[in-house]
Amino acid sequence: MSTVERMKMEADIVCVGFGPATAGFLTTLTRALLKEDGSPAFESKVMPGMPLQIMCYERADDIGFGVSGVVTKGAFIKASFPDKDLTKEIPNAVAASDEKVAYLFDYLGVSQRDTGTKFVDAVFKGGRFFMGKCPEAAELPWIPPFLRKEGGIVMSIGSFISWVGAELMSSGLVQIWPGTPVSEPVFEGDKVVGVRLVDQGVDLQGNPDPATFMPGMDVHAPLVVVGDGPVGSVGRKLDDHFGLPEGNHQHDWAVGMKAVIELPESCTLKPGTVIHTLGYPEQEIFGFMYVYPDRTASLGIFVPSWFDSPVRTTYTYLQHWMQHPYIWRHIEGGRLRSWGAKSLQESGVRGEPYLTGDGYVRIGEGSGTTNVLTNSGVDEAWHSGVLLAEGVIDLLQRGETFTKANLDATYVRRRREDKLNADLQKAKRARDGFQDGFFKGMMGTGMTGMTNGAMNVSSQSRPPSQRIKTLLETFAGRISEEDLAAAVAQCAKDKQPLHDTLMVLAGWPEIKMDGELLMSHQDVLFKGGKVQAAGGFANHVTFAHPEICRTCKERTCIEICSAQAIMPGEEGEPPEFDREKCIHCGACVWSCSKALPKDPEKSNVLFGAGSGGLHSNEN
Amino acid sequence: MCSLALVPADYTQMKINQMENKTMEGLQIVVCGTLVPDPLQTLEPVTTPTGPGLKNETMLPSVLDPWAAHSLYEAANLAKKVPGSKVYLVSLGPKAKLQQLMMTVAQKVPFELVAIDGTAGGFTDAMEVAKTLATAIEAIPGLDKTRLLVFGGCASASRDAGVTMQLIGEQLGITDQFVGVDEISMSDDGSFSVLERIEGGQYLASTCAGAPAVLAWATGSLPEPPNNPQVGMANMRFVMPALQKAQPAAVGVGGINFEKSEVPAQKRATRIVKDVSADVIAAEIVEWIKG
Amino acid sequence: MADILLVLHTGSDGSFSKGALESIATTVDLSSKLGGSFAVGVIGAGAGAAADTIAGCGAEKFYVVEDEAVAAPRYSSDVKAATALIQKAGAQIVLAPGSSRFARCMPGAAYRAGAQIDTHIVALAVEAGVLKAQRWYYRQRILTTLSRAARPWVLLIEGGIQPAWQGAAGVADAESVAVEFTDAELRTTIKGIESPATDAQTIRPDAALLFVAGAGWTKKQADGAYHIRDASNLIQGFLKKAGASLGSSKSLVDLQSDGQETLSFMSHMNQVGQTGTTPRHAKGLSTCCHGEEPHAVGWRFINERRAINMDANCGWAQGKADVVYIANAFEVIAKVNELLG
Ligand SMILES: Cc1cc2nc3c(=O)[nH]c(=O)nc-3n(C[C@H](O)[C@H](O)[C@H](O)COP(=O)(O)OP(=O)(O)OC[C@H]3O[C@@H](n4cnc5c(N)ncnc54)[C@H](O)[C@@H]3O)c2cc1C
Ligand SMILES: Cc1cc2nc3c(=O)[nH]c(=O)nc-3n(C[C@H](O)[C@H](O)[C@H](O)COP(=O)(O)OP(=O)(O)OC[C@H]3O[C@@H](n4cnc5c(N)ncnc54)[C@H](O)[C@@H]3O)c2cc1C
Ligand code: SF4
Ligand code: SF4
Repeated sequence: MSTVERMKMEADIVCVGFGPATAGFLTTLTRALLKEDGSPAFESKVMPGMPLQIMCYERADDIGFGVSGVVTKGAFIKASFPDKDLTKEIPNAVAASDEKVAYLFDYLGVSQRDTGTKFVDAVFKGGRFFMGKCPEAAELPWIPPFLRKEGGIVMSIGSFISWVGAELMSSGLVQIWPGTPVSEPVFEGDKVVGVRLVDQGVDLQGNPDPATFMPGMDVHAPLVVVGDGPVGSVGRKLDDHFGLPEGNHQHDWAVGMKAVIELPESCTLKPGTVIHTLGYPEQEIFGFMYVYPDRTASLGIFVPSWFDSPVRTTYTYLQHWMQHPYIWRHIEGGRLRSWGAKSLQESGVRGEPYLTGDGYVRIGEGSGTTNVLTNSGVDEAWHSGVLLAEGVIDLLQRGETFTKANLDATYVRRRREDKLNADLQKAKRARDGFQDGFFKGMMGTGMTGMTNGAMNVSSQSRPPSQRIKTLLETFAGRISEEDLAAAVAQCAKDKQPLHDTLMVLAGWPEIKMDGELLMSHQDVLFKGGKVQAAGGFANHVTFAHPEICRTCKERTCIEICSAQAIMPGEEGEPPEFDREKCIHCGACVWSCSKALPKDPEKSNVLFGAGSGGLHSNEN
Repeated sequence: MCSLALVPADYTQMKINQMENKTMEGLQIVVCGTLVPDPLQTLEPVTTPTGPGLKNETMLPSVLDPWAAHSLYEAANLAKKVPGSKVYLVSLGPKAKLQQLMMTVAQKVPFELVAIDGTAGGFTDAMEVAKTLATAIEAIPGLDKTRLLVFGGCASASRDAGVTMQLIGEQLGITDQFVGVDEISMSDDGSFSVLERIEGGQYLASTCAGAPAVLAWATGSLPEPPNNPQVGMANMRFVMPALQKAQPAAVGVGGINFEKSEVPAQKRATRIVKDVSADVIAAEIVEWIKG
Repeated sequence: MADILLVLHTGSDGSFSKGALESIATTVDLSSKLGGSFAVGVIGAGAGAAADTIAGCGAEKFYVVEDEAVAAPRYSSDVKAATALIQKAGAQIVLAPGSSRFARCMPGAAYRAGAQIDTHIVALAVEAGVLKAQRWYYRQRILTTLSRAARPWVLLIEGGIQPAWQGAAGVADAESVAVEFTDAELRTTIKGIESPATDAQTIRPDAALLFVAGAGWTKKQADGAYHIRDASNLIQGFLKKAGASLGSSKSLVDLQSDGQETLSFMSHMNQVGQTGTTPRHAKGLSTCCHGEEPHAVGWRFINERRAINMDANCGWAQGKADVVYIANAFEVIAKVNELLG
């Protein structure tokens, strides 16, 4: 491809991805771009005489489609809008009020539980009478402060981001272009000089179609701001190039799958209600339900990388979780309106990459801002953008260039000295215990939380590919070896994922679709009509070594796929990827059960920048 | 790497120069199109003080009305073929939502935006909408009706009445009109031929002596153009000022009294026939077809 | 002066289409509900003779515009003729079938006659003396009932909402309405109708059955291979034997424009759904099509619906069809074709 002639464009600052991090960056930066008399405060370096040229390229088809989140303490965000009441600006936003944490019993007796969890089950079941009555669950009588969201806001982060984006664009000071995936950073040695957009007018393999081929343009800029989230392809390519700082790793992940539901008339939950659940459908799976005004709720589950089972279809688990009596009583008779999924980088600050280099800087979740103790990322990502903006303004005012040293002295210094860092450091080891199982993990999170990070459960960390169990191990004692083999063979023949078949064999009831709350996986992709991808782009999910897939037994990439975009191919062939269904959640990347022969930290799934995906900013 | 390093301002200036030098010839193609809710969204009517509306109307993701979008691509394609031509997009919609829509549409093909700030809802009266659009078209500086082609969709995905384009044409005094167009071919003398969709999968073929004319498009024959960041940057020079200048327009339901608007329940009790041989199924189907 | 004017046009053979006859039935019905009279105006070649064929419909008066200029459908001449009829008849309510010809010219005629217009009307009712019309908004998503106080009110009636009028021919004694056409109104020349070759003519509005082909026909089948040619033969065989009209999902015709090997006899014209058509047939059989909402809204006017799909969880199974056969459409249609002989 190096011979392709590419158009080149110049800008002063180019941003990759428009999530909370970039939104925070641009909101803060643009406020400093005009002098009081309305004239530009800084002159463009690339277009002398013009104001700074600032571009932001967003992969998703519209602003707000690529992000997720519902509840945030929002202290940093609120600080950015001191004279605005966000609950009035953002449609359907409401102040967080009633908070509950519920331990859900395995009322069907079918989930995989380790001894510790069984002990917890017994304790809660015994103690439930002291904890208020609710079906098949126990509500914690007291919510640890590190989990509390009081004073925060319940809102769709997608709507919030749309709102911020509209405000920014109407200022005329920045351009935010959705539907424009950035393929990679453009390097000159170790210096980043710009970004390259993805090629268009190509077939699925990336071969140009002579009639429509449009090579991805190179956008050069003295500063590239990378805010492309947990699995963004520009961030990943920077990590490929520079590696991670000594001692850091990105071993812990989760995929969050979420639905927006119109609640039935009978539902009595008040807007602002925040419910967190644990214990079911598997001990590793957390659930949440947040209630918006207008009889709407956002709810979903997180399936983490430390759930070692290779069969892990989030969608099926979501359906089982929704049907748990504790949740179902609120939603039965309601209607699913919107749906989506996205990965979370659960290593938090431990996964922090090199934050700066010559010509580039990283913000947001991909830079390790997610607080894994409080399970929040939006406010933190936003604030990292704000801190960068302050640093950039500083450099612009002094007329200095965007070298690594200068960025370190401004942005990184601010970040290190900020409360953000203090909180992230406390949370740093909260997830470590999960390396050794759920019970120890819960202990670990609790301990880290209660002791402000002073006490932790320690463990040796492994990348997910090295901890996924085999099918036999997973179902030992629950499905006989013969039945398992027969089921696997049948699924391969029918080209179906294993998950649903094996769950039923292990005793889970079949899901009775009602077309309203419970529907097939393919239908949910279109519920409220969402997932789509324009033609002319290459597959963004590929397999590094197809031969590894050929012998792979677990095929976790198929099982985890949030959208049935990765499905079994011909028997003995690698899985097949359908880009029109992919929702870019990134779960396949960290769920692959095979490491690359040359780099055990990486999996066999290659995840590039692609277009399309979800079409909803409610998520 | 291509040596052509265009910076946006230069590029735009170049484009403006090109257009100004050539305004003596070429077509003025005015495309009427605005946003509609993404067709994949769940739509539910609600009653508002000004008539029916959609639940969560402001939250619904929107797209450029599909048939109008086809007409925009056709317009750009035609403008490319006829030197000196210029494409305008006239859009009536809520300013903030138009701005968001433009961030995707503006990357597709070059055009100059004329924005009008008002509702883009489907329950508005086509006559009021047409009046507003026709007035906006008349006000385009340098408008020359002898070179004017008015494009749009043959129906919107919202109102779906299929009358707005004709009403615009009438107000502009244009009597050559085509609806359900899938193809246009221009001759050097300015005359053109058109294929319009009619019943039974057939086309009506006509020729017209030349502009002015109204063409309300069906699907056309062009695929959606790729996102071209350079086109986007160039368009933005017009888009932002156009949005800032956008005049509010009070379009409403006009003289329509909506007595009722509903999403009729239409769930059927589906009988699922499983594990039955193809022969048995075939027999049942044949009986049903014949019965 | 009649209360209602029904405007019709003749086809290229000088006769009325089914849609025109249906709109007569609708007019007769409405007229009796309103307790008034109606007139009929006819545009097109052989309008006078055509009026005679419906002389027995109960109209109190017939008007025709038979000028050579309106022999073929051209906007500028049609709009002038229709305006003249509306003005001549002076009726408060103007009905017309929603044919492509009238869908194109009636809005302009309404404008010139100072009338209101609503299109795609699927039902008319009179409640307490008030005329109420039903139509869909957002492409078959939302059904509304509406009325207007202003008159004249032009309403274009959808096909298939009423059985065609049947009745005696006679002498309509139609009054010819003179319309002058200027050169400026004849700048457009009609070249004719381009129809696909008869065996490629897959869209048959009058067929009792709609056969919908989905993208599944062109996907890899259980044996791991594509069977495009088989699919092509099976579908065409079925269409011929069952006399069905062919519809398609968007995915299938989109594949077509992507240049992949697909079914050569289909085009975007076949597409049913949100961004396609909403045909009207008594029965519909969907094959290898998932039945997603944007597709299924195009089935709004298909009464009996059956589907063949390998996936028991497909959209059709969620209350969108009456019967879903979980089976391989290749096998079933082969057998069906055999049985149809
Ligand atoms: C289901 C779920 C629920 C959550 N709930 C909460 C919550 O309640 N509270 C909370 O605080 N946090 C929550 N989070 C976490 C929160 O979503 C993230 O921490 C936060 O969004 C991170 O912001 P960001 O800007 O760093 O990245 P992102 O939000 O990931 O934004 C990155 C953007 O970059 C774009 N992008 C990626 N690659 C490219 C590319 N190559 N080219 C161009 N654009 C690209 C993406 O489309 C995206 O829009 C939740 C996460 C999930 C998955
Ligand atoms: C803006 C927009 C507008 C749209 N408008 C429309 C529209 O107007 N019309 C429309 O149709 N769609 C429309 N869609 C697209 C729609 O959402 C779906 O993508 C499309 O209808 C799917 O087509 P399909 O069911 O044929 O294909 P698929 O979803 O690929 O389904 C193929 C089906 O074939 C079945 N199958 C495969 N092999 C066999 C076999 N041997 N026997 C039996 N069954 C088999 C499979 O089980 C599957 O259910 C629109 C989408 C968008 C975004
Ligand atoms: S991508 Fe990974 S999990 Fe999937 S088949 Fe290949 S090796 Fe196995
Ligand atoms: S293929 Fe797409 S939808 Fe499936 S897991 Fe990977 S990123 Fe998510």
